[in-house]
Amino acid sequence: MNKANKKNTKYFMLSTIKTLHKWLSLLVFIQLFIWLSTGLFFNLMDHDKASGNQYKQNLVSQDIDHQRLFDPKELLLASNTSASEVALIQRLGKPYYLLTHDKGLYKHFDSHFTLVDAYTGLIKKLDIEMASALAQASYNGPGKIANVLLVKPPINDFLKEENNLWQVNFSDELHTSVYINASSGRLIGHSNEDKRFVDFFFMLHFMDYPLFGQGAVGGFNNLQISIFAILTLFFCLTGLIWTLELLIKGRYK
Amino acid sequence: MSLHRSSRKYHKWLMLFIGLQLVVWSVSGTYMVLMDIDYIHGDSLVAKQKKNIAPGQVSYSFKQLLAEHPQASKIELGIMLDKVVYRFNLAKKKVTLSASNGQLISPISKDIAIEIAKHNYADKSIAISSVKLITENTIRELSSRHLPVWRVEFDDFASPSFYISTNSAQLVTKRHDYWRIFDWMFAFHVMDYIDESPDNKLLLIVSILAFIASIFGLILTYYRLAPAQNKRRKGKSGRVKLSKSKPKKTSKAKLEATSE
Repeated sequence: MNKANKKNTKYFMLSTIKTLHKWLSLLVFIQLFIWLSTGLFFNLMDHDKASGNQYKQNLVSQDIDHQRLFDPKELLLASNTSASEVALIQRLGKPYYLLTHDKGLYKHFDSHFTLVDAYTGLIKKLDIEMASALAQASYNGPGKIANVLLVKPPINDFLKEENNLWQVNFSDELHTSVYINASSGRLIGHSNEDKRFVDFFFMLHFMDYPLFGQGAVGGFNNLQISIFAILTLFFCLTGLIWTLELLIKGRYK
Repeated sequence: MSLHRSSRKYHKWLMLFIGLQLVVWSVSGTYMVLMDIDYIHGDSLVAKQKKNIAPGQVSYSFKQLLAEHPQASKIELGIMLDKVVYRFNLAKKKVTLSASNGQLISPISKDIAIEIAKHNYADKSIAISSVKLITENTIRELSSRHLPVWRVEFDDFASPSFYISTNSAQLVTKRHDYWRIFDWMFAFHVMDYIDESPDNKLLLIVSILAFIASIFGLILTYYRLAPAQNKRRKGKSGRVKLSKSKPKKTSKAKLEATSE
């Protein structure tokens, strides 16, 4: 009696697992095919193209005349500009002090900078001309600058970026956009149609689109993917149990 | 063989070989999406630094530094613990100098490394369990570009390690057990267990086979769950055992119905 009962529960469990597997397949199949095909795409894609850096060149630095350097200590003493970091940098071959006021843990985190001419000690506002020139210096493609925009986050090409950027658009066949941090003048990066195409596949793979309120964030911690991941996990585990049952029963012949 | 039967055969056989990887994909994928990525990066372990440079401490200027070290590049005036320091590149190496007298600070000693690690660790009540200098042959969780570093381990949940560069005297990397698991999960997800690069042949072959096996699976979903098909085909396609038990049930039900 007991034995038969045990057998029955075992049979019941297995049939439940099979029913679950069938119904879960209906729930997850579309996303499963999206994961498999986008995964296959990441495997086969051209990783150089995906970087968006076809027309990117390294910025050249010039020798600076250190005798002419202004002492940034005066800046820190004089005004109410306190800084946690002062870096001697170059922009367009000229030396500047980059004063960091608020620095995030990572470069893309919300940060605040002041750019100061290292020879004169005058504050340099990063205007549209300078942003264009900085973008041009990093670009070696055939295009000309089509337009320049000041963009606020969220920025589609760099979703994780939390700072305002200058977006310099070039008129080439790849629609290259060059991004410059609006307060530090640092080159954030290049983006183009090839990169945007790959980004679209990442969006699909990470289910990184607005579904439950929040928009795309350039990551994979969202509610929709969590739900589908758990459903798919059960789908795969029930499949595994089914396969093991077939193996034990000698159905693989 | 009907499409239904052949799909079942191919689904069954293909999944015998690649089904395990589908389980691995779903387990590793679930882990990665459920774990908050900022927590994985160890951001919550790091204390917020709000200190500003005390200009009074700066007696050694950029000008002097460049006169003494003409080859210096990427010069930065910053803070190390309560000192103002210069950090710069010299012959492909980071160097740290005191901003009050221009004296060389790097490479830092074990004691300073411990102090920097503690200073950067958010929870001040946690003790340090071990400190080790790593100069070559890096470990999996540390990029070789950060070498040489002090590895400072904390006696805390998930065994966090802070890596303090001996040359820049800064926190360069932070790791804990959930990061370490995440790293392996990613390696298993992309089927590259060393370089963790998604463009490898093994992943290509298994993905294609998984895609084919899934198409057969979808055909099975159609036959098993499509309402009209379900009724018509159940008898034909059902397993021997199932078809045996089914008539029994129906005859029992019939008997019960007639007896009533």
